Amino acid sequence: MSKDNKNINLRNRLIRLMRKEKWQSISIPLVAIIMSFIAAAIVILLIGKNPLQAFCNLFQGAGILPKPSYAGYKSMLTDFMSLLNAMTPLLFASLAVAVAFRAGLFNIGVAGQMLVSGFFATIIVGYSGLDAIIAKPLVLLIGIIAGGLMGGLVGWLKYKFNINEVVSTIMLNYIAQYIISFFIQMYYINPVSRQSQYISEAARLTLVNVEVGDLKMDIPLGFVLAIITAILIKYVMDKTVVGFDIKAVGSNRNAAKYSGINVGRNTVLAMVISGSLAGLAGVTYYLGYYASIQPKVLSDIGFDSIAVALLGNSHPIGVIFSSSLISIIDQGSTYMSSQAGIRQEISSVIVGLILLFSACGVYMKYKISCMSEKVEERKESKS
Amino acid sequence: MDTVIIDGLSFALPLFIMAIGGIYSEKSGITNLALEGFQGFGAFIGALSAILIANAFGTDIQDLFYVALLFAMVGGMVFAIIHAVLCIKFKANQVISGVVINILALALTTFLTTQINSLVFGTASDKFQLGVMERFTISGLADIPVIGAIFTNVYPFEVIIIVIAIFAWYLLYKTKFGMRLRACGENPHSVDAAGVDVAKIRYTAVLISGLLSGLGGMCFAYSISANFSSSIYMGYGFLAIAALIFGNWKIIPTLAACLLFGFAKSGGAFIAQSMALPSSYTDLFMILPYVVTLLLLIFFSKSNRAPKALGEIYDKGKR
Repeated sequence: MSKDNKNINLRNRLIRLMRKEKWQSISIPLVAIIMSFIAAAIVILLIGKNPLQAFCNLFQGAGILPKPSYAGYKSMLTDFMSLLNAMTPLLFASLAVAVAFRAGLFNIGVAGQMLVSGFFATIIVGYSGLDAIIAKPLVLLIGIIAGGLMGGLVGWLKYKFNINEVVSTIMLNYIAQYIISFFIQMYYINPVSRQSQYISEAARLTLVNVEVGDLKMDIPLGFVLAIITAILIKYVMDKTVVGFDIKAVGSNRNAAKYSGINVGRNTVLAMVISGSLAGLAGVTYYLGYYASIQPKVLSDIGFDSIAVALLGNSHPIGVIFSSSLISIIDQGSTYMSSQAGIRQEISSVIVGLILLFSACGVYMKYKISCMSEKVEERKESKS
Repeated sequence: MDTVIIDGLSFALPLFIMAIGGIYSEKSGITNLALEGFQGFGAFIGALSAILIANAFGTDIQDLFYVALLFAMVGGMVFAIIHAVLCIKFKANQVISGVVINILALALTTFLTTQINSLVFGTASDKFQLGVMERFTISGLADIPVIGAIFTNVYPFEVIIIVIAIFAWYLLYKTKFGMRLRACGENPHSVDAAGVDVAKIRYTAVLISGLLSGLGGMCFAYSISANFSSSIYMGYGFLAIAALIFGNWKIIPTLAACLLFGFAKSGGAFIAQSMALPSSYTDLFMILPYVVTLLLLIFFSKSNRAPKALGEIYDKGKR
């Protein structure tokens, strides 16, 4: 067999592998990730650094690979726990976007919903001095209710007044940001840190500096809940009537209406679910990852989550993987920047590239099906 | 009172030109959430070229405004190519593409700004300092009560924006190209049947939106923020999108929406200042434009109608 033939065979096998529908939801994002790392490697080469070392440092910083040395009470495990701590709010927020997206809605208001829930949980429970047993569940409950109400408002405005949810969520983001900033600066400001007063340890959703063996680590309580929630959302979306109705409204409003699905009710419902997930993101962020709120700032997570949800194909399980990938890159970037001497901002460039390539997923699918058709044709003409 | 009009206009007009860009793109059938990214990248290219030229020839950065403006328009346009190619050639979801482009623009420009600052200028700064543009006053007209404020302390870019906006209005509503562009957003198949290349028109529309957003971004950089840094991504792009949806995808009502934003913003700041309230109260007045918009939308949204083919991927074979 000639070398040329071998190449064609290899290509055909690759195409056949990529063609399988079942694997495409995994293989296409994977190709996007590989392509973006190659692109990032070229950028790093251009500034005259070693890309392999940089990527290695990235994973070391995120607690996926061991670092050469650790400070006292630290190890790979502590880094990994910090990663989970940072990832928890992102996972919740991305689930929020994903659910809304399934219903054909675009929730840009995650940041605002996070802030409102975080704020209410902070002033009601965070400053109350309640016992941890009561305080922690109460924080979660407030997050769900506050976020759900705000999301529901957006859905209601859309259903009742035909207000485009993109506009209303943007407006509500700004309104929440300024009003809450006002209250923080008037009543809850810490004059030294210029942020809101720190909340009590009892209300915090991350256990800070817990000694386990000879290690001191942060344990995010919300993480387990986030994974359970993701699985629950998958179940609701795939196996229940509610999920089916929401998806039907999302894929074709008119068809759903004709088949007797209440479009208005499902729009509001989807936004309530999305909002309460954003609320959980808010409390795990402001009362877990941090213990205070910075006035006049909306969290970046609110916007990153849009991209993370889309990278995960708006699928709850996909979102777990996409949010862990983005968190790893984010978390590892500080260590990479200090070790390899590459600017931290390159990590956001990598994230941007991953998203850019994954946005081409539909085209890749289309190309693959074209190529595989050609292969089939050739096979037929031969035989 | 005058300051309300002066500040309001200088905020509303750059917003307006970005919104027109959005209208062009959306009227041709391409959803455009990427205005923010175009704005930022355009302003980055504009600011970078101004800084480099000022450094090389020793000119005052104030005089380079028009050069910067030109480069910003080109920069916005170049970045818009990504959105156009993704949406038109690669058939990507247009909402996804828009969000991705915003994220990429923010990441890329902050990275490049710090990188260039440290490599070329040897400073550890994350911004390009530009300064605020000099303003001018038309002496006779400025004396008219109330309306005179329109002619007082005007940024030169406001004039440029008005001229370009009028031209954009003419192009969209009075020319064959404009008619075809609008038809692309309503019924691309009939445009195709008439023998016109839908993809070509959509490419042009998205590029125009990038060009106009870059222009808007540069104006913000030379007035409100006085520099280029990541703080230019203040959500103005999304505000412009809100304005154009509010304006029902029409240029004149969108102008009204932008003016409303501008005056409510400067008015809020003015009220807080004149009542001599502590600075934290300014925050409360800052919500004015957004609350007013939401309330007005409750009354006006019923008749709002997006272009019919907006966000749909054009497929020749599908009828």
